[in-house]
Amino acid sequence: MNPQLEELACLYVLDRLEPGERSIFEERLPRDPELAALVAELESTLGRAVRALPQGEPPGGSLADIEARIDLNPAVGASAPRSRERERVDPTPTAEFRINQLPSNGASGQARRAVSLWVPVLRWGIAAVIAVGVGVIAVEHLRPIPAVANRPFVIVVGLDSQQSRQTRLPLSERLRDADASFVKLASLAGEFWDKPSDLPVKLGSNVRSGRGYALFDPASGQGFIGVRQLPAIESGRRYRLWILDTASGQAREAGVLPAAGSGSGLYSFFVAPAVKAVAGRLDFFVTVEDAVAPASARPSGNVVLGDPRTF
Amino acid sequence: MPPEPDNAAATEEAGLLALTGRGDREAFRLLYARYSAPLFSLAVRFVGNTGEAEELLQDVFVKIWRNAVVFDSRKSRPFTWAVTIMRRTCIDHLRKRRRIPASAPLPADAGAPAGCSTGADGRQAAEAREDSDRLSEALAKIPPDPRRALELALFSEMTRVEIARHLEQPEGTVKSWIRRGMLDLRTILTNSAP
Repeated sequence: MNPQLEELACLYVLDRLEPGERSIFEERLPRDPELAALVAELESTLGRAVRALPQGEPPGGSLADIEARIDLNPAVGASAPRSRERERVDPTPTAEFRINQLPSNGASGQARRAVSLWVPVLRWGIAAVIAVGVGVIAVEHLRPIPAVANRPFVIVVGLDSQQSRQTRLPLSERLRDADASFVKLASLAGEFWDKPSDLPVKLGSNVRSGRGYALFDPASGQGFIGVRQLPAIESGRRYRLWILDTASGQAREAGVLPAAGSGSGLYSFFVAPAVKAVAGRLDFFVTVEDAVAPASARPSGNVVLGDPRTF
Repeated sequence: MPPEPDNAAATEEAGLLALTGRGDREAFRLLYARYSAPLFSLAVRFVGNTGEAEELLQDVFVKIWRNAVVFDSRKSRPFTWAVTIMRRTCIDHLRKRRRIPASAPLPADAGAPAGCSTGADGRQAAEAREDSDRLSEALAKIPPDPRRALELALFSEMTRVEIARHLEQPEGTVKSWIRRGMLDLRTILTNSAP
């Protein structure tokens, strides 16, 4: 076998591939029985290696403690609501569109754990999900989503204070449900947060202030937006995220970004599954608006992320 | 060396995960019985003390409970899946902790997990030394450079780039060493299996 493929297989089993490499590798894996066999062998090797460590037994009460933690929130597993649903702690459950902050640190949170299995967002830890601003998007005014092309993808938008750039990031396989979509998006968002240079969209170097990126899965209506170094905001003002249908020119508020202090953060958002949303090209913008402005108002404040000429 | 679960065992464990995903507490307990010791040992190896390892073990089993429903046996073996969860959890924990107590390569003659020195940890270290460290024995048979790279890839929170920096080698060289080490380990562990 090609040594480079062997190398990728080893790094894959050791969970040391970059997202792009992993995507390519996983795309090839089902079509390459020899490679799949090697991966199976290496997985077995990893298992043997772990079992070959000096074996210690966990304290006797561990299982009881684990079950006690599980009992705190028994609505888990296949029969439970989807993990994304469980994460909602926002007090306005009827909102169609909402943003949840994924804090970079903090105390443990059951809800956060529900979706943190696969995601490098774990780097922000087991943390309380802080529900933040909520916006309502009247997505029925946007064109319906066309059937996702045969090749699954997520939309990636790079944002800075002067422009936005968008591309489609192909996925190796279709995301089978909202949970899988969220996990994938979270994984990608976390990777890009840690290593912005991996973003498939490159931003211009002449960045006055602030930058960010958005990931959006049009099939599930879920997305993530990461922002860094947004300018300081005055009291009584706040950042608002907008989705723009570039075909119709309609912009709808998508929620409030609670970026404070460093002006940085990573947030999830989603469009309720019942809503048929978004077609053609979507774009994302962040503006500074009056805190008391109605949620459905058009953007009127300065664009801090995205192309300011758009509005 | 205890054998890696054969395909039948893996199939059985996949079944236990499926039941766990449907909320079957007994299946979950059976998984705990099978996986807790090796996962705990892995955590001790990563973080260097049993207290934190126990907390991480609990976190991981809560994750297993909550995410068993998304386990896909076509993509990985159940135990590998659980090991990956534990490794990611440990890596996350170490990166937050901002220190690297267990990232140094495991000496070929070191039987005890890093950091085990006092109290319960000390007892565990002593027990670990009495119980031959079969992994160290296996790793000792691998040439030094691939072994160091593999150990860091296995048991540290370092990224690939950080491993390369730590070893003062180009990333390509380190990737090659990891491959060499992993393939050697496969051969050694396969040959030493009963």
